[in-house]
Amino acid sequence: MNHFLKDELEKYIKLCMKNDREGQLKIYQLFSPVLYGICLKYMKNEDDAKDVFQEAFVIAFQKISQYKFEGSFEGWLKRIFINKLIETLNKKKKESFFLDVFDPDTDFVEEEELEAIPIEQEKLLEYIRDLPDQYRTVFNLYVFEKMKHKEIAELLKISEGTSKSNLNRAKHILQKRILSIKNFKTA
Amino acid sequence: MKKHKIEDIFSSMEDFSSVPPPELWSQIEEKLDKPKKKKRVVLWWSAAACLLLGLLLPSILHFTDSSENTNLNNGNIENSRNSVVIDKEKNHNSNSRNLDQNKNTGKTIDSLNGNATKNQFNNDSQIQAQETSVAETNSKSKTDKKDSKYSAPNSANTPNQSVAFQNSSSSEEKSNLKSSKKSNTNALNQSVAYQNSGSSEEKSVLKSSSKSILGNNSKTSNKGISEERVAFGKQSKFNSTAKKQLSNSIFEEQIAPKNNKNIAFNNQRYSVNNNSFTNSNAYNSNNAVSGKNENKRTDKAVIIKDDLKITNSLSKTDSVQLAELQNLEKGILSPEKQKEEKEKKDNLINKKERWAVAVFAGVASSENTKNEKTLGNVNDSKQSNSYGVKTKYSINNKWAVGSGLKISELGQSVANVSYVSAKNNAFFAPAASYADSSPVASSDPTRQEYFFVSNSTKEAMKNENVQTGKLDQNLRYVEMPLEVSYSVFNQNKARININTGGFVGKLISNNVALDGHSIGENMNANDYVYGSTLSSTVQYRVYKKTNVFVEPAVNYYINPLNSQSFNQFQWGLNFGLNVNF
Repeated sequence: MNHFLKDELEKYIKLCMKNDREGQLKIYQLFSPVLYGICLKYMKNEDDAKDVFQEAFVIAFQKISQYKFEGSFEGWLKRIFINKLIETLNKKKKESFFLDVFDPDTDFVEEEELEAIPIEQEKLLEYIRDLPDQYRTVFNLYVFEKMKHKEIAELLKISEGTSKSNLNRAKHILQKRILSIKNFKTA
Repeated sequence: MKKHKIEDIFSSMEDFSSVPPPELWSQIEEKLDKPKKKKRVVLWWSAAACLLLGLLLPSILHFTDSSENTNLNNGNIENSRNSVVIDKEKNHNSNSRNLDQNKNTGKTIDSLNGNATKNQFNNDSQIQAQETSVAETNSKSKTDKKDSKYSAPNSANTPNQSVAFQNSSSSEEKSNLKSSKKSNTNALNQSVAYQNSGSSEEKSVLKSSSKSILGNNSKTSNKGISEERVAFGKQSKFNSTAKKQLSNSIFEEQIAPKNNKNIAFNNQRYSVNNNSFTNSNAYNSNNAVSGKNENKRTDKAVIIKDDLKITNSLSKTDSVQLAELQNLEKGILSPEKQKEEKEKKDNLINKKERWAVAVFAGVASSENTKNEKTLGNVNDSKQSNSYGVKTKYSINNKWAVGSGLKISELGQSVANVSYVSAKNNAFFAPAASYADSSPVASSDPTRQEYFFVSNSTKEAMKNENVQTGKLDQNLRYVEMPLEVSYSVFNQNKARININTGGFVGKLISNNVALDGHSIGENMNANDYVYGSTLSSTVQYRVYKKTNVFVEPAVNYYINPLNSQSFNQFQWGLNFGLNVNF
């Protein structure tokens, strides 16, 4: 079964390499929900997410011949999308992106452990998207892409310290939001 | 209650997915239909290739010409070995000048006439006539051929060594390359694959299947159905399928539980997929029965048969499939995963900043590895400066190609060179027995001539007029390298590259100095030089996209001079600044 699925996927990828629209459609249908989800997590508003989603998919189809059938195809697609997202964010907010100003209120605050409250995914997404661009990007890369600060620093052309501080501040903001829900519920 | 960190709370968002609005696919399709923009990179490289070709062609022609010259200059070859042939260009050669000089035999009138620069030594009392034509280089055209004829001494009785050089008219060949461009136009005729409107049978099947799937996704499914009524100019396959939030393949069922409250979202997503297997097959089988679909129908029918077979097995092994599907999408093999992660890092880093432009300057030292000698003296190293610009294009995280322009100087010093100055010895001429001393005629109307003699000849001559001095020779080139770079180290802001490649250089300056005074040019210098280069770049990012670098390098020049020994190795240390973009 596994081989069958793999073969099918390879077949569609090969069709895409020939610029076959049917193959492209299949790939789109298969992976678009996950990739669109990523775009929503990284971009503040849905319109921007749509724009990046389209552009990244076009890039993916144009560069699909570079995929060597090694490793996960989904991973390969994700990389293209994340690159595009970061590029867009960098272009969009160059002036204030990744400020490295020391903030004792958040940088030295230890992360508080929270009681598990069931929170809907949509709500969580909203919290993430409400974060400032720079914090959101670092948070996404660290928490969801499992990247280390060193890697994030290289990717975003910032220092490791900035990456750590941005993550701390993002967590701090999210923590506040979650606690406010908890308090609201208990009240 | 169990406590969680923020990461744990948000871990459910790791595989968050959401079905994109259906119109996005049509927009993507439109973008894909647009003809690709021609990459500027290709144009740049074409330009570089043309430039390289342009530089190579004259040099190839030059080599052909020089082989002809060798045949013509047979008489001169003996003298040119291990000797320095000096030629000085002077603009005022057109002015005739008479020189009266006395040496034993009486007066000598040296008249230099016109561009032909024939020097006639007329002696009133003697019948000796010495005719020397001074080699004259045309400063305006460095590609001129320099043919010289050697005429033997006109009298066996006279000890005068006369050398005649005659310039032949120069010719320059140009080759024009014509390129024709072909414009290809690709016409893509997209035919609508199939129309769903007429297939009520399909719809019923799809609706029934979507009901089971869309339980958690009422928003999107409603949206999709409403979309059905909207008439798109071109009804794509995706639109038709998106309307029903279903697709016709095992892979296609990606229903996003937007309102999903289950934290283990991932599993649910795949379970939806599993549910969809049967539905999609049913859909496909309907397609096959309906007899409506066009060209690819037969292929589809074959696939459907396979699908149906597998559907039976699927229903029995749902749990196994779930795991397999997860593994498939995640990259089941751990080595593959590791490799993927590595690639991920590389690609993320290298996505941007493929181009780099650098300016550099440095010091270079021309060296002699074979202990070569000129006139019996060792060629010493000579320090010079080099500077230039270069550009680099990163193919991937490790490999890059680069080119540029560089001004570089190759040189050598020869200490204790023996020479005789003709200024003080107007009629100095080595005796016939000293013919092996390789005397060299130097002609310069404004200055004295120099006769260089080898160490062995110096001993034999025992002439008190023989002097020694330091001879410096410099050949300055404008070079165009073509390099390949490999990154051996890339951490944080630091990077180390190893570069290797070749270069072609055009001679732009040729100078010979004796004891610090310029006395002419080295006639044996080739106008074009080739070589190979090996260097290592150590660079450090100082600000955003700006790096500073140090580049130790070694260059080897294949043919700086014809039939003469010359320092061919060059050590260099360049310092520079590069900007990535």
